[in-house]
Amino acid sequence: MGGSELLQFVISGLKNGSIYALVSLGFTIVYASTGVINFAQGEFYMLGGMFSVWVFATFGLPLPLAALLGILLTAAVGVVFELLAIRPRKDGDQLALIIITVGGSLLLSSLARHFFGPDELALPAFTAGPSVRLFGAAIERQTLWIWGLTLVAVVLLNWVYNKTKLGRAMRACAIDRDAARLVGIDTRMVVTVSFALAAALGGLAGLSVAPLTQTAFDVGARVGVKGFAAAILGGLGNPIAAVAGGLMLGLIESMSIAYLSSTYKDAVSLGVLLLVLFVRPQGLFTRSRKEKV
Amino acid sequence: MIRRMRMLFAIACVIALLVTGCASDDSGSDTGSSTSGEAYRIGAVLSLSGTYAGLGAPERNAIELEVARINDEGGVHGRPIEVLFEDDGTDEAKAQAAVTSLLEKEDVIAIIGATGTGQSMAVRADVERASIPQVSMAGGSVITDDFNDWVFQTPWSNRVVVPFTLDYLKEQGVESIALISDSGGYGKDGRQVTLDFVDEYGIEIVADETFNRGDADMTAQLTKIKSAEPDVVFMWSAGSEAATILKNWIDLWGAGPLRFKSGGNANQSAAGAPLIIGAPGNARVELAEGAGDAAEGFEFAAGKILLLEAYGDCVGERGVASDFIDRYTAEYGEGPDIFAGHAYDAINIVVEAMRRLPEDFTSSDLRDEIENTADLVGVGGTFTYAADDHNGLSEEDIVMYRISDGVWTLVEGD
Amino acid sequence: MRAKLLRFTPMALITLAIAAGPLFIDDRYLLKVLTFVAINVVIVTGMALLFGYAGQISMGHAAFYGIGAYASGYATTTLGLPWIVGLFAAIVFSAVGGVLLALPSLRLKGHYLAMATLGFGELMKIAFIEAQPITGGPDGLGGIPYPRIGSFEMAAPVGTYLLAWGIAGLVLLLVRNVVTQRPGRAMRALHGSELGAMACGIDIVGLKVRVFTVSAVLAGIAGSLYAHLVGFVSPSTFSLHLSVILIAMAVVGGSGSLAGPAIAATLLTLVPFADAIIPGLSRDALALIQDWEADVYGLIIILVMLFAPGGVSGFMRRRRAVARDAS
Repeated sequence: MGGSELLQFVISGLKNGSIYALVSLGFTIVYASTGVINFAQGEFYMLGGMFSVWVFATFGLPLPLAALLGILLTAAVGVVFELLAIRPRKDGDQLALIIITVGGSLLLSSLARHFFGPDELALPAFTAGPSVRLFGAAIERQTLWIWGLTLVAVVLLNWVYNKTKLGRAMRACAIDRDAARLVGIDTRMVVTVSFALAAALGGLAGLSVAPLTQTAFDVGARVGVKGFAAAILGGLGNPIAAVAGGLMLGLIESMSIAYLSSTYKDAVSLGVLLLVLFVRPQGLFTRSRKEKV
Repeated sequence: MIRRMRMLFAIACVIALLVTGCASDDSGSDTGSSTSGEAYRIGAVLSLSGTYAGLGAPERNAIELEVARINDEGGVHGRPIEVLFEDDGTDEAKAQAAVTSLLEKEDVIAIIGATGTGQSMAVRADVERASIPQVSMAGGSVITDDFNDWVFQTPWSNRVVVPFTLDYLKEQGVESIALISDSGGYGKDGRQVTLDFVDEYGIEIVADETFNRGDADMTAQLTKIKSAEPDVVFMWSAGSEAATILKNWIDLWGAGPLRFKSGGNANQSAAGAPLIIGAPGNARVELAEGAGDAAEGFEFAAGKILLLEAYGDCVGERGVASDFIDRYTAEYGEGPDIFAGHAYDAINIVVEAMRRLPEDFTSSDLRDEIENTADLVGVGGTFTYAADDHNGLSEEDIVMYRISDGVWTLVEGD
Repeated sequence: MRAKLLRFTPMALITLAIAAGPLFIDDRYLLKVLTFVAINVVIVTGMALLFGYAGQISMGHAAFYGIGAYASGYATTTLGLPWIVGLFAAIVFSAVGGVLLALPSLRLKGHYLAMATLGFGELMKIAFIEAQPITGGPDGLGGIPYPRIGSFEMAAPVGTYLLAWGIAGLVLLLVRNVVTQRPGRAMRALHGSELGAMACGIDIVGLKVRVFTVSAVLAGIAGSLYAHLVGFVSPSTFSLHLSVILIAMAVVGGSGSLAGPAIAATLLTLVPFADAIIPGLSRDALALIQDWEADVYGLIIILVMLFAPGGVSGFMRRRRAVARDAS
């Protein structure tokens, strides 16, 4: 395969990888503060795209504003979901909460179908124009946006985590929730904020890729599984690992299309998920913390 | 106490059983149903949602239009006809459930459907078990190649479309093609039939990629195709993915329009991208709308209903088509496409067969009479079925189109 | 003696009512729907075992359902083997799949099984689509014959109804026996406290693996029944959506009893087919119910887990406790 073809696949891999990274970050943030895998994360991705399209089409607002509103609305849904479906389960039983998020995923996607309709919806590209060419490969302008926005999100998140009181509270909860409560941290608020952040990140991913692939009420499940695989690959609980996992998964998929066959790309991602779960469940980029039975 | 509760529950079950048993309808036996009661009931399984929703909607429009017309003109044997619609969501399992409901619950005498090849194949076991004739609106040749006494087809089979298209490509000097096809029934069928015929035309297949229904990006497959340097890309996709393929392809090459390569020169610096040629499944307005500029120059074979001028001198067919076009446009505000045409043909084939029979007939009789259809002028062409031909059409019934400035135009001189 | 007889009368009546169904019910459609109920009872019993007694959920149980369906379908159509061989193949392949998945996942603490089953379910769906020579690809596998033993064919609607309920009854009986004896006590100990169970010397990993395998096999059996009832299987049936629906049924059913999940499976299966049991239901009303089916399932899962985590079983337990206190 020629150099420019290979580059094309790398670009495509990093594009998808950024999306997976954002979704995977969402999983990690919620997991860190609650120990729960939020299976509704994929739906936040879906809602980001859907809300943005809806705001854009219905109110005719300029695209950046529509995108921002899309993210805010998705974050709002995340908060409402946490308050109504997660918080009431006071004993924090992980199995129960996981099941609740599964139910939430089904509910959110079905409500989306009723509210937004069953058809695919499109968002115009953030900047119009032909693709940028780099050594014979094409980079769509939207891809540059995706990379840019992902970078901004990661930098912002890093700043929140390390330089703000909220971030400190979140890190404390991730280490030990009971201890955090003992030192006076409002763990319930941390959980709510985590959901809001996870939803915002997922929503950002969804809306930034909507111009390329269109969006519909049922796109959440597929991307959710990929983002989830990325989180496992990198290692749950660590934001850097989550992003690394996402990019890596995107590249693995792309290379499998290039060297194997396009039909098996999903199988490869899922195979990677299972392999990591069985062989190194704590992920590639975190230190071993999971105990075996 | 607990025992009493359990007892009550058990007794409730028995009562429920008796109640539902007595209240339930007496349905006919499993050997097909005879007509009885007022309206003739026909079942229709269409893709009203999912990736073939754009095909199912005009089909439904056409059927409703015709049913209204037929009933206004007095119905069949003085009795109205009623078509019960079910949505299969472009999904084989749902199609199967829909047919079960139509056959078991609604006791229909015929099934029109489905929209897609895969879904049409999915229901044939039920249709056969129930001895009910099925008239499919999907173009996969497997529907009639894998011959079943109970299944008929109204579109031009891929076995007719492929030689027509390859012939045209050969005339344009094409020597190599790349295939990109949908892994579902229609795409799989089109691909297989193409592979069956290429040797006859001396055309080489240099790449063969597939994608799944619902995939959002085909750049990877198209990148591999681009490296294989085909003269033309033959696309088999009837769903919304077709627009994505066109957009991805143009993007890889930088700009359109789609056109035939000249001289087979791999390092062409002239603007444009190697032609993508499609099939009747692409005769949809949504394709031009979804792909926008990327559809410029796209070509495909399809029936004559898209442009009245395609009928040329065939007065009979032209008359039927223009009447249908006028009525459809008056009712729905836009012209009918080939899918509306397939549906028009399906309902009329069934109804005409019903007219030729006496008032009370079994579904077996209906099947036999559908098979006797001869020289019935429809929108897709003139239909003549036989005991070994449940397709009824030929290459005479299709022409080559090109998208120019977002609209369909006839390709001259074919 | 009399007390024992009295205890069994309710069950006997229910069994009789079910068995006599075809005598009173003429409606082919209703019989078919009730056959689906039986199939779901089988698979939900397995899921409830896993959830109730091993405290795990499977997010990919549709995969075992599919493995059973395809194994049985392939054996009887392509290979032309007798139905009983197909059923056996369904059991064997789903058991193997279950063990292969459970062994590595259940060795870890926490909810790794849930994650692994999600991955496995999606992977199997792809396998069903890609393994065309065996599964027929995206267009599915058709022409699956009715179950037949020798020259006796169990056709729809009556034959398949009786077969499905017969198997469901057998399954319930067998599982009930297991649950009331030592494995069951071990499972309840496990559910109560893993640490405690370990302290008693119970091999919890082995137990969990066995429970998972049983639930996989039950799903496989249900899959085989489904394939022969409907005559056609396609990959789109065995989706994550189906797995989630099954979770809903198990959750509503609750843990600790077998009646709860069976009742939940019955009720939830009948909802989208409401037109079968409510004779006068209009097509529009039915369309409305089917349109909101998924929303209702999602909501039910959340509400039950928040406010009635014991499900139907818990409800029955509480009534029993109240009754006991009152007497």
